[in-house]
Amino acid sequence: MAKIIRRAPETAFVPQPDDDLIICRCEEVTKGDIRRVVHAGLSTTNEVKRWLRCGMGLCQGQTCQRNFQGIIARELGVSPADIGRITGRSPVRPATITTFAHEVTEQKEA
Amino acid sequence: MRIKQHPIIDDYGKGAQISFTLDGKPMVGYEGDSIAAALHAAGIMTHRYTAKRHTPRGVFCCIGRCTDCVMIVNGQPNVRTCITPLEEGMEVQTQYGVVNREQWEADHQ
Amino acid sequence: MMRHDLIVIGAGPAGLSAAIEAARLGMDVAVFDENARPGGQLFKQIHKFFGSKEHHAKERGFRIGEDLLADAEKLGVAVHLNATVMGIYEGREVLVKHEDETVHAKADAIIIATGAAENMIPFTGWDKPGVIGAGAAQALMNLQGVMPGKRILMVGSGNVGLVVSFQLLQAGCEVAAVIDAAPRIGGYGVHAAKVARTGVPFYTRHTVVEALGKDRVEGAVIAEVDDHFQPIPGTEKTLDVDTICIAVGLSPMSQLADTAGCDLVLDRKRGGTVPVIDEYGETSVPNVYCAGDAAGIEEASTAMILGRISAIRAAEKAGFLGAAEFTARADEYAASLSKLRRGMFAPQNKGRTDMTETDEGYPLSKSLLAHGFLEPNEVSAFPCATVHEVGVHPVIECTQNIPCNPCQDACRFGCITVGDDIVKLPVIDETKRCTGCGMCVASCSGQAIFLVDEAYEPGYASVGIPYEFVPVPKAGARGHALNRAGAPICDAEVVSVKYTKAMDKTVLLTMKVPAEFASEARFYRD
Repeated sequence: MAKIIRRAPETAFVPQPDDDLIICRCEEVTKGDIRRVVHAGLSTTNEVKRWLRCGMGLCQGQTCQRNFQGIIARELGVSPADIGRITGRSPVRPATITTFAHEVTEQKEA
Repeated sequence: MRIKQHPIIDDYGKGAQISFTLDGKPMVGYEGDSIAAALHAAGIMTHRYTAKRHTPRGVFCCIGRCTDCVMIVNGQPNVRTCITPLEEGMEVQTQYGVVNREQWEADHQ
Repeated sequence: MMRHDLIVIGAGPAGLSAAIEAARLGMDVAVFDENARPGGQLFKQIHKFFGSKEHHAKERGFRIGEDLLADAEKLGVAVHLNATVMGIYEGREVLVKHEDETVHAKADAIIIATGAAENMIPFTGWDKPGVIGAGAAQALMNLQGVMPGKRILMVGSGNVGLVVSFQLLQAGCEVAAVIDAAPRIGGYGVHAAKVARTGVPFYTRHTVVEALGKDRVEGAVIAEVDDHFQPIPGTEKTLDVDTICIAVGLSPMSQLADTAGCDLVLDRKRGGTVPVIDEYGETSVPNVYCAGDAAGIEEASTAMILGRISAIRAAEKAGFLGAAEFTARADEYAASLSKLRRGMFAPQNKGRTDMTETDEGYPLSKSLLAHGFLEPNEVSAFPCATVHEVGVHPVIECTQNIPCNPCQDACRFGCITVGDDIVKLPVIDETKRCTGCGMCVASCSGQAIFLVDEAYEPGYASVGIPYEFVPVPKAGARGHALNRAGAPICDAEVVSVKYTKAMDKTVLLTMKVPAEFASEARFYRD
C-alpha cells in the first residue's frame, strides 16, 4: 500500500543527459517526462500513470512499471514500496470491445 | 537465418513452405512459423514505426507481452506477430502508428 | 458460466503440476493459459535440469514439459489454450477471454500460477530492433528454429543469461561477451564455466550504455560501472554485435492476485511484488492460492512442487483428501522442497556476497565468480577435481553447493557419492574402478565432469569432455584444446566420440593432448 507522501522533491528539477531516454515503450514516455511531473507534485505510481499514460499502453505496464516506479522513488528519495504500484485490475490484458460483447453464457462442453 | 542443424533439437515441427506478402512484396515461410519468425528468418527487423517519435520497433519479448512486434495483418492493426501463426496468403504490412504507410503519409501531409 | 472444483491459471510447471495432482485426487480441474502452447517456459529449456531424480534432474526442460502434458491428458485435465484470464472476482469467479469471446467460470478454489515477466533495463537505443529479451532469443532459436542474430551481447549473468548464452552458441550464433553490472556472476558457476571455456569473455561491473545503429542494432557500447552502478566515463568499449540480449532477472506476475484482492507485498528475495501466502501458497483471500514464479522467483523444479502443495491443500479443504493423507503428503513435498532450497543460490541466500567457502570448507573460486572460469590454483583446493588415480578417472569441477546429484546415480560402480544432502559436493572413491563409460559426464547438468587419463600413451593424456555442439568432430580429427578460459593451449587429436541414447545428446568427446596439459585442456575446437 502506498504511503501518502506530501512533499515534492526538495531540490528543483535539474535536467539530466538521459532525460530523453524512453521508459514506457508503448506510450513513448521518457525519463524526463516522469521526473518533471514528480517535481510538479505527483508522488505515486498510479498518479504518474494517469497523468502521462506510462503503463497504459498495449502491454499494460508489463515492461515499464518496474522502471518508472524506480525513477519516481529515486526522485522522491523513498523506497519503491512507498509509492505503490499500478493497480492490477480486470481486464489485465488488452482486448477489443467486440470481445466483451461476445459473452458465452451457456455451459460449453470441454 | 534459420538453424540448419542443432545438437539437441531434432525437429522444429515445421511443415510445407507457404507464401505471404510484406507490404505487397512476396515472401516465404513455413507452416509452424509465427509471422515474426518468418520475417526474422528473412532478415526483416522493423515491424512498425511508433506513433509519436516515428522510430522503428521489432521483436522484443517474443511471447506476446510487450506488443512491440505488432503489424497490420490482413487489414487488422496491432496484431502481435510473435504469437500469431503464419498462414498461406497472409497480407502483412509494416504498421505506422496504428495505420499503414499510405494512410500515415496521407495523414501527415 | 462454467463450474469446476479447481481453476488453475497458467499451464507452466507449477500450474500443470497442480492440475495433475488435483485431478488424481478426483477434482474437476480446468486450466487456462493465454498462450497457444502449454508448458510455460519449459519448452524453451533445452538444457538438463538440476536436483535429484524426484525433481526430474538431468532431464531436459522440454521433456519434463512433455511428461507433464502427457500426465495431464491421461487424467483428463482440460487445458484451455489461448484462454486469457482477464480478472478474478468475488466468489472465485474468473473472466476468460478465448479468441474473440469471453466466458465466466467459477470454482471452489483457484491456483494462480501465472509465472514471471522479464525485467528490462532502459539504455540509449534500447527500443531499436535487435534489442531483445532472453526469452525472445529462446523463443526464436529453440521453438522457431531461427537464429536471433549472428553476434550477440548478453546483458546479465544470472542463470537465464548463462543458459541462454550457451543455447545461442548451440544454435550457431557467436556470443561477443556476457556482461553484468554486479561485481560477480549471478548464476551457477558451472553454467558460466561451460560458456567461458568456449572463449566467451565475461565482463562483471559492466553495463550496456548504448545500442548503436540507425534502424537496427549495429553495435553496442559497454562501460565499467562504479559502486553505485553508474558508468565510469572513459571506460567505454564498442562491441561489434547485431543483437543485444537482455537477461536481468524476472518479476512475478501478480496482477491477477491484485484483481482478486489478495494482500501484496514487495519482497526482493522473491523477486518483486507478490501475494502474501501461507506455507501452502494460500493468499489472504481464502481458497485463492499462488504457486510457482508468480509467488516468488525460483527454479522450475521448485515450482512443480509448490503447485502440488497448493493442490493438495485445495483438495483437502474441498473434501477430496483426508487430513492424515494430506499431512503425509504435505510433509513429503516440504522435504522435497527443502532439498532444493539449499546452498549458496537458495532464495534465503539471494543477494548475499559474504560467502567465501563451501559447506565443506573449501575456498570458493573468486575467478569463477569474476570471469566464469576456475584458475588452476583454485581447482587444486577441490578433491573431486584433483583425482590422480592410475588409468581413466572422473575429474569433477563442481565447486559450489548446488542442489544436484545425478552424477551419483550415473556411476554403476559407486565411484561417485553425493549423499543425502544433495547440495554437497561429490566425493570420488578412488578405490572403485572407473571404466570410462562416460555416463557421469552426460548426467552432469552443469557439464562439469571430465574423464582424464594422465597416462593414455607415453607422453600423452586423454581428456573426455561433454560436447553439445554440431557438427560433432569425428575420431581422428585434429584441432586445438582450449583451457577453462577458452584460450587454445595445445594441439589435440580426437581419439573417440561416444554417444548412447541414455546420454541424451551429450556426447563424450575424448581428445589426446600432451600429458602436461591433462589438467588444463577442457574444450576442443577444430
